[in-house]
Amino acid sequence: MHIVVLAKVVPDYLVPSMDFELKDNRAHERYSRMLGLYDENAIETAIQLKEKTSAALSLISFGSENDVQFLRKAAAMGVDQLILIKGQSDDAAVIAQNLMAAVKTLGPVDLILAGQQSADMDRGVVPGILAQMLEMPFIPQIGYIDSKGGEWAVTQITATGKRELEFKGPGVLSITSIPENVPRIPVVRAIFAAKKKPVTKLESINQGKMALTELGVEIPKTKSICEFIDVEDMNAAAKTLLTRLTEERYI
Amino acid sequence: MKTLIIENIDPKKIGELMTVSQKFCEIPDIIALGDGPVPGKFGKVWQTPKTVAANLISSVVNIIQEEKYEIILMSVSTLGTGLAGPLSATLSAPVVTEVTAIHPDRVVERPIYGGKAMIKQKLESTPAILTIRRKYFEPATLDGTTASTPLSLDADKVRLVAEKNEQADGIPLEDAAVIVSGGRGVGDKDSFALLQAMADQLNGAVGASRGAVDEGWASPTRQIGQTGKIVAPDVYFAVGISGASQHLAGIANSKCVVAINKDAEANIFNRARFGLVCDYKKILPLLTEAVKEKR
Ligand SMILES: Cc1cc2nc3c(=O)[nH]c(=O)nc-3n(C[C@H](O)[C@H](O)[C@H](O)COP(=O)(O)OP(=O)(O)OC[C@H]3O[C@@H](n4cnc5c(N)ncnc54)[C@H](O)[C@@H]3O)c2cc1C
Ligand SMILES: Nc1ncnc2c1ncn2[C@@H]1O[C@H](COP(=O)(O)O)[C@@H](O)[C@H]1O
Repeated sequence: MHIVVLAKVVPDYLVPSMDFELKDNRAHERYSRMLGLYDENAIETAIQLKEKTSAALSLISFGSENDVQFLRKAAAMGVDQLILIKGQSDDAAVIAQNLMAAVKTLGPVDLILAGQQSADMDRGVVPGILAQMLEMPFIPQIGYIDSKGGEWAVTQITATGKRELEFKGPGVLSITSIPENVPRIPVVRAIFAAKKKPVTKLESINQGKMALTELGVEIPKTKSICEFIDVEDMNAAAKTLLTRLTEERYI
Repeated sequence: MKTLIIENIDPKKIGELMTVSQKFCEIPDIIALGDGPVPGKFGKVWQTPKTVAANLISSVVNIIQEEKYEIILMSVSTLGTGLAGPLSATLSAPVVTEVTAIHPDRVVERPIYGGKAMIKQKLESTPAILTIRRKYFEPATLDGTTASTPLSLDADKVRLVAEKNEQADGIPLEDAAVIVSGGRGVGDKDSFALLQAMADQLNGAVGASRGAVDEGWASPTRQIGQTGKIVAPDVYFAVGISGASQHLAGIANSKCVVAINKDAEANIFNRARFGLVCDYKKILPLLTEAVKEKR
């Protein structure tokens, strides 16, 4: 069995809005880089599945050579093989076509996991495009995965609850976070071993872009002045807050 | 422009998409999923009780091609997200998800970097596929109903085995005027009872950050933020929540944010109208008591 996980290295997504700056319409390069949050959930889910099914596990990323150092964290967590497609584009169709080309170099695969959303473009589109190009079903927001009698049994986390779904054959799933897929912290020995792991590097293929023109990126202006309520006397603080909320007719 | 809505039968979701459709056409058509009458006045209506996106793609593609739709509208949900990518790939159509504003000349706007920036993009060809973020467009009132014809579907690729509703009883988060929301700073599951007690006094609902959901202290149906629910209460109490931009993305339309956090540097204070720098365990019971006295 062969499982593939798709992950992207992104600028630090916890930089607060106040400190956020753009350069050439993208996050300033001074921010540190890391694996996307949901991509780490996907990696953790894939590793758990690998442990259950003795599958081989490959990670594919489309990005710059500089990303390799951050992708190694996935190897330290338990990914067997790292594949980097060297390229630069935020176009979802271009990314999906490149990911597809890399998937095809692996021969038959049984399951492809992605993050629910990338932590920079925030869109949840790439895995759905890839799935359709590979003629596989796409199911978003999956929490739990089980392999059951040659089929996949998965749990989708929806806005109102959960759905149990089953399908046969390969598919593309986007992974959401659940308490059970909080990414493991790799042990020191694994971090060192991951540093020596060879990384397969592929050249990007030049593919057609989506019919979308980027007109501009702006940082929205927000102004909020926080009135700090003195908490020396907690009882008084509670009453003051309530009075202020009533005065301003919020309650 | 010829517009098609694809949505579950839910008057608020359909109402919001109806409002969006008015930027493109007079009367849209709809593929409505679920049982019961389809609320609102539409041109053509197709209906199926099936709601798993992966099973709908080929028939939706056929309809879009036959009827030559130019704009396809869905809301951000497992359905919209499940359809958007595959439809884009099959139809070679541009797709923009999580849209929050629509400008003239097919220009759409959406947040990136967890809401820290907004990107404007122009749709250069049709059909174009959009998913719309909830709560950014006022839902249109849907008058009457429109008769539907059944949507014919191929055999299921994905089998729906069971569906569980895990929404808590009481006021839904999306409609609550007051929300008391807890984050990782709440510390444990049992302490969410303190938040519930406060919410009960204010006729409100309890929400959570992803931090609290990941800890298993709150159900995912309570998660607020970019990848959770988008809410717009009069008062939003953020208890032990750091105020990451992805969380703030879900409360952008709240009228008044009250932040209770023991770290005076926490980002939540940059969004708050009122701030209390302290341990929430000390203040929340007193606040609940004060509300009780005042009623
Ligand atoms: C693509 C993407 C989508 C995301 N979507 C969402 C989303 O929809 N919703 C969401 O919430 N997050 C989302 N996140 C995650 C987000 O970036 C943060 O990681 C998350 O919001 C942090 O949760 P938190 O504030 O509860 O935890 P923390 O950041 O750990 O903050 C805990 C806070 O509690 C305070 N505290 C601790 N003890 C006490 C006490 N006793 N009294 C008072 N205060 C105390 C601390 O000072 C701290 O500020 C997303 C991230 C990405 C990349
Ligand atoms: N450049 C990339 N390299 C690898 N995987 C990616 C890339 N871009 C997106 N993905 C995958 O697709 C998911 C959704 O991305 P997006 O559509 O950009 O929100 C991410 O969480 C990743 O798992």
